[in-house]
Amino acid sequence: METDSPVQTSSEEQQKLFSLKKWNPVALWTWDVECDTCAICRVNLMEACLRCQSDSKSDECVVVWGECNHSFHNCCMALWVKQNNRCPLCQVDWSVQRVGK
Amino acid sequence: MLLSNPFLSGKTFDSEWKNALKTIKSMLNQTNVPQPEWQALFEIMNGLVTWIDNGSERIAAELTKELEKHIVASAKSLPTQGDDHALLTAYVHEWVNYMLMVDYLPKPFYFLTRNTNNKMHPAAKRPPTFNQNPVRQNMLSTWYRLVFNNVKQRLLKAAMELIRKDREGEHVEKFLIENVRKSFVELYPNETEPLELYRQEYEKAYYENLASFYQCRTADYMEKHGILSYIAYADKKLMEELDRASKYLERGNADTEATLLQKCLEVLYNNYEEQILAECVPLIKANDIEKLQMIYRVAHRTANGNKTMKDTLFHYIRREGLDQMIQNAEAISSDCDKYVEQLLEMHGRFTRLVKEAFNNDSKYLTERDKAFKEIVNSTEVFKLDVSKNYKGPVESRSPELLAIYCDQLLRKSAVSKRLTSEEVDEKLNNIILVLKYVQNKDVFMRFHKLHLSRRLILETTSDQEKEETLVRQFREIGMPADYVNKLSRMLQDIEINKDTNSAIKRTICQNNNNDTISIVDMMSLKILNVGAWGKSRYNQVTLPREIEDCSNEIQEVYKRMHVGRKLYWSPHMSSATIVINNTNGKYDLDVSALQLSVLNAFNNRPTAQLTFDDLKIATELLDADLNRTLMSLVAFPKLKRQLLLTNCQPLVPKNFTDSTLFWINGDFGITKNEKIQPRGRLNLIGRLNVIADATTDQECDEVIRLRCFRLQEAIIKIMKARRKISSAQLEVELVEQLKHMFLPSKKLIKEQIEWLIDNKYMARDENDMNIFSYTT
Repeated sequence: METDSPVQTSSEEQQKLFSLKKWNPVALWTWDVECDTCAICRVNLMEACLRCQSDSKSDECVVVWGECNHSFHNCCMALWVKQNNRCPLCQVDWSVQRVGK
Repeated sequence: MLLSNPFLSGKTFDSEWKNALKTIKSMLNQTNVPQPEWQALFEIMNGLVTWIDNGSERIAAELTKELEKHIVASAKSLPTQGDDHALLTAYVHEWVNYMLMVDYLPKPFYFLTRNTNNKMHPAAKRPPTFNQNPVRQNMLSTWYRLVFNNVKQRLLKAAMELIRKDREGEHVEKFLIENVRKSFVELYPNETEPLELYRQEYEKAYYENLASFYQCRTADYMEKHGILSYIAYADKKLMEELDRASKYLERGNADTEATLLQKCLEVLYNNYEEQILAECVPLIKANDIEKLQMIYRVAHRTANGNKTMKDTLFHYIRREGLDQMIQNAEAISSDCDKYVEQLLEMHGRFTRLVKEAFNNDSKYLTERDKAFKEIVNSTEVFKLDVSKNYKGPVESRSPELLAIYCDQLLRKSAVSKRLTSEEVDEKLNNIILVLKYVQNKDVFMRFHKLHLSRRLILETTSDQEKEETLVRQFREIGMPADYVNKLSRMLQDIEINKDTNSAIKRTICQNNNNDTISIVDMMSLKILNVGAWGKSRYNQVTLPREIEDCSNEIQEVYKRMHVGRKLYWSPHMSSATIVINNTNGKYDLDVSALQLSVLNAFNNRPTAQLTFDDLKIATELLDADLNRTLMSLVAFPKLKRQLLLTNCQPLVPKNFTDSTLFWINGDFGITKNEKIQPRGRLNLIGRLNVIADATTDQECDEVIRLRCFRLQEAIIKIMKARRKISSAQLEVELVEQLKHMFLPSKKLIKEQIEWLIDNKYMARDENDMNIFSYTT
């Protein structure tokens, strides 16, 4: 045992070592999706879809979930359903479960 | 109404011509012609041409007769005896007077030329220019025939003699020479080649004169004064000759200019070229701007001289730069500050050299750039092992050093505190300047992004505006776009986060008790977008109870604020300030969440001794993280009295075992000059890995991984466009496409091609190994 090991006293025993003065937590958020990539535009869902990237509307580009739980960029899907009202992945009739915010 | 013909009422050609002749004669004799008389001449000519058959021809014949009479008289006045100079003076006198008439007299005869011209050249739609005016031509050719042709040789000789005297520095009547030149230009026997006479007689004599004048003089000068003075001599004489030629030679023709220059260089420079150019290096070394300017002015006009000088400059800059780097290698490889400053100093010096000595010639600036690129990317001084797992060619560490330097300027650091805002701006601009030379821009961006996330998360950015300006500049100079986009998204995200932070804090305070509120008060929350910041490890870490409670609360609130979002806590990015109170004093410590977790294990039992294993269970940290965190607490470089003590000997992380003991140092304190301070603040986070994957190894693996993707992308893009391509051509195009990000090594290219072949994206040609084709 080292010579400079602390001497145990009962008064210190009760005292806490430190108190918090400031707390800077960091969290990261992602969309709650099963697959990271939008099957329509092949861009990661955390990025804006290609159309929004080129129009620099990245902030507004959110994700949409269908009842089938598949997810896409909302704007990609909006274009898709104009031609074919089915989920591109499972071919089930498309109905929106929720839109990301 | 028809105009009545005046010639039916008594006027005849002869009577009219007689009137006209009076005016013409007084003009030729340079006596005053009153204006009405001058105008009458126009009228008469118009009348004659309009009403008299063959009027034009008759006028022309009469005029020629009159001119000949006048010229013969002029020619008689020239001295037939005596020296050439006297002849020259007399000739020029007559010639100048005559030329004055050549400019005026043809004007009244404009009508005559209009008609004849149309008859002669029915196709010519445009009226002839004044110089082609037949009357003028007639006047000149008559002069040539009757005067000039007889005396031109003597005139030439006299003119050349004057030019020689001019070269010697004697005063001469320049207009004499100029008028001889003018005579040779204006007068010619051969209509199709107007300048033939001038070229063959005058120009030829001029150049012969030039050559014979300098032939022995240059050799003499060289022998007497040596090469250095000769350079000055040649420079001066070249300027003089160019200036002289602008007076004595017919200019305005690219051909003539080139010939003149070539003739001058032939006599002044060509024989001594080697000797002159050999002086370049010593002169650059001695920074003798004046002499270099002289050499440049003379030598850059010849292809060989230009090339030799450019090569010399390139090799000089390259060698000089590398030598200096190697000389100071030790100092600058440990101190990025010195490295960057030295680079900038050299860049400034070489730029000044080109500007002053080489007239800021863009071709010489290119040489500077080429050489500087080699210096910046040289692996002679620093090597960066891009990745331990990937053995590619070594790369220079300069991108990393530049990024660190950048970080020091933008962070609240010892460096940035010393500088004013303007100085920081200037230094950042300089970095942008040097960055253009960096080959592997992706490495720089990778490090810069890492540093930026550190600064933003720890809130150590000294000026947000500078960060934004820098990102804009990166975009302008064409740094890899994907990185630049990420940077600007990070900056945006931090702004968005300010609102989120206050909104969440407000909501929690409204519906909670005092305990939670107190922690919310001291909290500065960041919820970041993974898309911009990159993934972090999410492993669980035990933190003080009140924090965990609060975290759950935040998660609830966040879920209500947004739809479809998942939240991960990132202990690797989180940090705290704690207050430690002991017998020595009261200290504020900035700690990372991981350090907080370890200290938390001791919080309720400050005197306990805990084993590594105990701590692992208490903190839930992974071995590697725990190792690193413990090391930062038992051996923090700036501390004399560490916060945590251990029985591990010798103290290296790999000696930690499950039963290694750790305990809090009751005698912990901050010292200054060996004395314990009762109060103090210390940042224990240091340069800890705020981001989970921030270790340099992983960092560089990431770089390599991205490079592979970029290469594959680029190969496919090229293959799609070309369908079939040779491997050499493919390589050239790849480098061209990727050079703004990094310089792909041959090895990496080969590997990616193999991968693409294996995965059937492309194929080798059956007959030729070196030809690839695209498979769809």
